Amino acid sequence: MSPSQPVISCRNVWKLFGPRPESYLAGLDPAAGFDAIRADGYVPAVRDVSLDIARGEMLVIMGLSGSGKSTLVRCMSRLIEITGGEIDVDGRVIGALSERELIDLRRNKMGMVFQNFGLLPHRTVLDNVAFPLEMRGQDIHARRARALEVIELVGLAGREDYFPRELSGGQQQRVGIARSLAIEPDIWFLDEPFSALDPLIRREMQDEFLRLQAMLGKTIVFITHDFDEALRLADRIAIMKDGAVEQCDRPDRIVMNPATDYVAKFIEDVEKARVVHARALAQPVDGQTLTGAPVDGSKTISQLARLLVNDDRAILPVSGPDGRVIGAMDRQQALDVLLGAAQ
Amino acid sequence: MRTKLFMSAAAVALASVSMAQAEDSSDPIIIPTHNWSSQIVMSHVVGQIFESMGNSVEYVSTDSQAVYESVRLGDVTLELEVWEGAFGPAFEAALEKGGLHDAGDHDAVTREDWWYPSWTKEACPGLPAWEALNDCAAQFATPETGDKGRFLGGPVDWLKHDQERVDALGMNFVVVNAGSASALWAEVGAAERDKRPVVIFNWTPNFVEALYPGEFVEFPEYVEGCKDDPAVGPNPDMTYDCGNPANGYLKKAAWDGMEEKWPAAYATLKRISFTNPQIAEMAKLVDIDELEPEDAAAEWLETNEAVWKPWVDGGA
Amino acid sequence: MTVAATNASAPMRPQSRPRMAQFLFAAALCLAVAKLALPDGLVRPPDWLVWPFADWFNAVFSFIRDDLGLIHVTRAFADGLESVLDVTANLLYGKNRWPRLGPIPWSVIAITAAMIGYAINGWRLAAFAGLTFVWIAAMGQWQWAMETLSVIIVAAPVSVFLGLLLGTMGWKSARFRLVLNPLLNVAQSLPHFAYMIPVVVFIGVGAKAGAIVTIIFSVPPMIRMTMLGLQKVPSEVVEAGHMAGATRWQLLRHVRLPTARTELLVGVNQVIMQCLAMVVLASFIGMPGLGQKLLQLLQALKIGRSIEIGITIVLLAIMLDRCSKAWAVKQPVHLEKGTSWLMRHKLLVIWAALVAVFWALSLVFPILHEIGRRDALSLAAPLDAIMDWIIGTLDPVTQWLRWFLIVWVLIPLRDGMLWLPFSAVLVFLMAVGWAIGGKRSALVCLGYFGLIAMSGWWDRAMITVYTVTFAVFIATLIGFPLGIWGSRSKARAQAVLLVCDTLQTFPSFIYLIPVIMLFGVNDVAVVGAVVLFAAVPLVRYTIEGLRGVPEAQIEAADMSGATRRQTLWSVRLPLALPTIMVGVNQSVMFSLFMVIIAAFIGTQDLGQEMQRALSSSDVGKGLVLGLAVSFMGLMVDHLITVWANRRRRALGLS
Ligand SMILES: Nc1ncnc2c1ncn2[C@@H]1O[C@H](COP(=O)(O)OP(=O)(O)OP(=O)(O)O)[C@@H](O)[C@H]1O
Ligand SMILES: [Mg+2]
Repeated sequence: MSPSQPVISCRNVWKLFGPRPESYLAGLDPAAGFDAIRADGYVPAVRDVSLDIARGEMLVIMGLSGSGKSTLVRCMSRLIEITGGEIDVDGRVIGALSERELIDLRRNKMGMVFQNFGLLPHRTVLDNVAFPLEMRGQDIHARRARALEVIELVGLAGREDYFPRELSGGQQQRVGIARSLAIEPDIWFLDEPFSALDPLIRREMQDEFLRLQAMLGKTIVFITHDFDEALRLADRIAIMKDGAVEQCDRPDRIVMNPATDYVAKFIEDVEKARVVHARALAQPVDGQTLTGAPVDGSKTISQLARLLVNDDRAILPVSGPDGRVIGAMDRQQALDVLLGAAQ
Repeated sequence: MRTKLFMSAAAVALASVSMAQAEDSSDPIIIPTHNWSSQIVMSHVVGQIFESMGNSVEYVSTDSQAVYESVRLGDVTLELEVWEGAFGPAFEAALEKGGLHDAGDHDAVTREDWWYPSWTKEACPGLPAWEALNDCAAQFATPETGDKGRFLGGPVDWLKHDQERVDALGMNFVVVNAGSASALWAEVGAAERDKRPVVIFNWTPNFVEALYPGEFVEFPEYVEGCKDDPAVGPNPDMTYDCGNPANGYLKKAAWDGMEEKWPAAYATLKRISFTNPQIAEMAKLVDIDELEPEDAAAEWLETNEAVWKPWVDGGA
Repeated sequence: MTVAATNASAPMRPQSRPRMAQFLFAAALCLAVAKLALPDGLVRPPDWLVWPFADWFNAVFSFIRDDLGLIHVTRAFADGLESVLDVTANLLYGKNRWPRLGPIPWSVIAITAAMIGYAINGWRLAAFAGLTFVWIAAMGQWQWAMETLSVIIVAAPVSVFLGLLLGTMGWKSARFRLVLNPLLNVAQSLPHFAYMIPVVVFIGVGAKAGAIVTIIFSVPPMIRMTMLGLQKVPSEVVEAGHMAGATRWQLLRHVRLPTARTELLVGVNQVIMQCLAMVVLASFIGMPGLGQKLLQLLQALKIGRSIEIGITIVLLAIMLDRCSKAWAVKQPVHLEKGTSWLMRHKLLVIWAALVAVFWALSLVFPILHEIGRRDALSLAAPLDAIMDWIIGTLDPVTQWLRWFLIVWVLIPLRDGMLWLPFSAVLVFLMAVGWAIGGKRSALVCLGYFGLIAMSGWWDRAMITVYTVTFAVFIATLIGFPLGIWGSRSKARAQAVLLVCDTLQTFPSFIYLIPVIMLFGVNDVAVVGAVVLFAAVPLVRYTIEGLRGVPEAQIEAADMSGATRRQTLWSVRLPLALPTIMVGVNQSVMFSLFMVIIAAFIGTQDLGQEMQRALSSSDVGKGLVLGLAVSFMGLMVDHLITVWANRRRRALGLS
């Protein structure tokens, strides 16, 4: 498998809920909209989604409640069978795996954090976290040691012997995170994993998360309602509406060039200056002469605010990661982004 | 001819000798108990006799009608009280299907018939004659029977033909069937409080005699054929124009396999025979003296050694 | 309010339902009025309509039994069961079987019960459990109670296991559920006597037969609760199991069953209650113990001592009920790390020590080993005196009541019921069905009662219907106000519910005698006995329904200035009505059971025939009669369920 091959690849994936989804989908008019399908008594939870997720990438899925985020992720982990299309994981068609192969895949490669935690009410924190290891048949000492390790990691040390009902929502959520980490998965699905955490811990967890990601290079699919969170974490964001992916791109590109009215509306309230990086505004240098020191392309416009306001050049050079100039940025355009007058 | 007879007699004798020598099986003999005291005590008496012979015994309580099916199948080994009136039909039916047989009669005779507690006589002084009873039928009236008197019969499945008798003798009575023996006694118990006259179905030997003294109503005497032949009895056109026999049988029944499996116990069973006073005494030990059936049986065996020793030893 | 009830999938219903129902009501009325002009075939089921179901059942049974040889299988199974029963019998009351260790001294068992109570729920339960056994021993009932328990402690686990197994299968396979559900419905509405007959044939008599009928009777609720519990496991918990890479078996064993724990334990609790309810009935086919003794005592009219036994059964039921309920809500305690073995097993150690001490003491003081009947206490004399006094006091009233009810109510009602042409009854029931649930319900009603007509027991079935209808009516008159009264405060509700529990587990046979003494052998006594039993679920569900009304609704009513009476009638009752109807449903079921038992007073209905079938071991007849009773129950169940569901939907309660 080549490194450039996507880890997860969805091609025209459909998931319909209803009485006889397969035959309905087979006879479905390709142009049929969400409402037409609803009117026929089917719920199109995922509609014709095509996505590739590269190794080590963090894809964030956003969308309103009921837009099909959780369902899409469940399709990727084959917790539910898809109605149409194909999903490849690590180059294998996941829908074609036998039960045994699927179990092996999950035992060794996949982890998932659930929206409502999905903890086993009759097991202690320790036993919940050790559960996937137990299923794998690891011996009790090894799995206890590993479980304690991840419990420590999520900051629940000292609560190993509590039962889920004895924990707060945020603590329970961290148990879920710890459990999904216990087997060191390559592919990690997180369904609103920080929703129940207070801002402080949430921030901490996000940092921890980024650290882990940099260190371990996992492939992550992350669902959140929080745009700030998405911006902090995402390599790419997919925005879903009524089961379909409206746009899937880097955050600043989405902000600068929303593909549809819906996406535009969705990002309306986002403070663009905090999203857009200088490099996103850089135009190719076609013959102009650039003067002065270049600005760092990886900085956001809001980080450059002081410079933009004080500088008097009309065109600013932008440098890439290696310090070389990669383009030119129109200062007026950057100021428009900063002050909210663009578009 | 003669030799033949002799030969067969010898064969029988030989067979019985070899039988007597065969060991009884160590499996427990299962004795059924029912829900009236004399039978329970008698079962324990016989059980303890078997135990004294080295057998092991177990008791199981069963329905007194359904028990014949169990004897047939060998689930229980024997039945000690087969009342002609109450269980005759069930017994005969089982006999026909096969699997059990008649193991002889007790000395005791049974009687089942219309009966009244003694206070009833004050309201109806002509008793025990049935004509007198009929004359004061109104005394026995209840709301559901209107002007007619009420006779409280046993459960329908005892098949007592009381209605037929009422019709045949032209009596001013309505037959109401109680659902169980307890219902009969409860009715007498309730009547006792205000000394209300009642006439119910009853039998002897029975513990009720000790609680509530009373008498049977004297119907036209039972004669052979009165139940089948209209011509017999006072009413020339109808059957059942007579009382029940005043001396019905009380039998023992045994599973067909018992003789082979527990020959000694079986031989004893065949010799066992209780009399009416003995049965009444057993019932009294439980119902009046409040002993447990096991203790009552032990006590009875202790005081009546002369009666039961011969059954075990084989003397008659 | 009912507007919301109309169902989108059947838009034509709202108008046509009442019209069709009205038409059917009119038709039924015409049939009844024109009775004299009707051909005989419409008055009573004609011969061609009466099918010999009983003979068919018997043929099938004898085929299964003799030709297929199933009897050997069942008998072998029963022998296996018996060897297990022998072990408990030896331990508890010293039956002479392997392992020949027993009997365990009563004091040891009492202290064990107390320790279990303590471990589950602390001192109060410990005292209750321990004292229950002290009571049993002191009243001289040890032997019988242990005979009973030796069966229950085998039957209950077997039921639980079977229930888990069948419930899991039913949850797993929709096809299996399709077979299982109707079977469960019938099993839960079939009178006990109906399946005792086949048990006598296939299993025999004695403790093993008692255990089998107990299992048959107690397994359906466990199956239902298992299915319910497994269905209720949150899907995310299961998905978490999937993502952990659990195999199917691991998923069931480690995820599903433990998560369904609460429902499963409710099932266990039901099993225990049903087992105790069977104590007396199973003695009809030879189960030894309290039930058997109770029947003997009743037969000899010893009410006081039968009440003592009844109290024991109630105490055992409440004790086991409390223990299993407490266990259901108890979650494992969490111990500090580093607790020593001794501390972690403190209770176990104390228990072992106490057992040793009491066992040793019982060797020195035989009274701690066994209390003989002669040393035992008895409350019989005062109990008898109280009974006598009650009956004596009530007698004048009941004399009048008896006369009034018989002459003016029951006899006319019954004659009227028997007078009705069967066709009119069927059409009437269809009309009721149509009014409540449309065509489907009408057909369901017709199906059930049509089969009853075809069974050939129409007249007797009508007498049963009349008894049950009247009894439920009276039970409503009593139970409903009592329930409203009881729901006023929490303490009151608890007290009334405790009385309900007691009445429900107190062996019904004991009621029969006083009822006969008060009313005599007639329909008043039968109705009286049935009412006593039928009122219990009505009271219970009225209280639960009223107390279950959401607080917010009542506050809203209070804030609109409603008086207490207005709140009751326009807020609480309408909202509680669906639950109350479940109570009515249960009440009908209880009445049907009780009316069969009331045959022991003396009736002329299906129960009486059932008794006959039992005494002649007639499997086919017993089943036909049992099914006839069961169909009545199922029809009512269907109608009430349909109604209550519609109502709930209308109220937005589900
Ligand atoms: N098992 C199911 N059966 C029928 N419909 C379903 C099922 N699961 C999900 N749906 C429907 O599919 C749609 C998408 O649901 P999904 O849970 O994926 O939404 P979501 O984007 O995760 O929303 P949220 O942000 O609230 O978690 C919803 O309309 C939902 O009602
Ligand atoms: Mg979701």
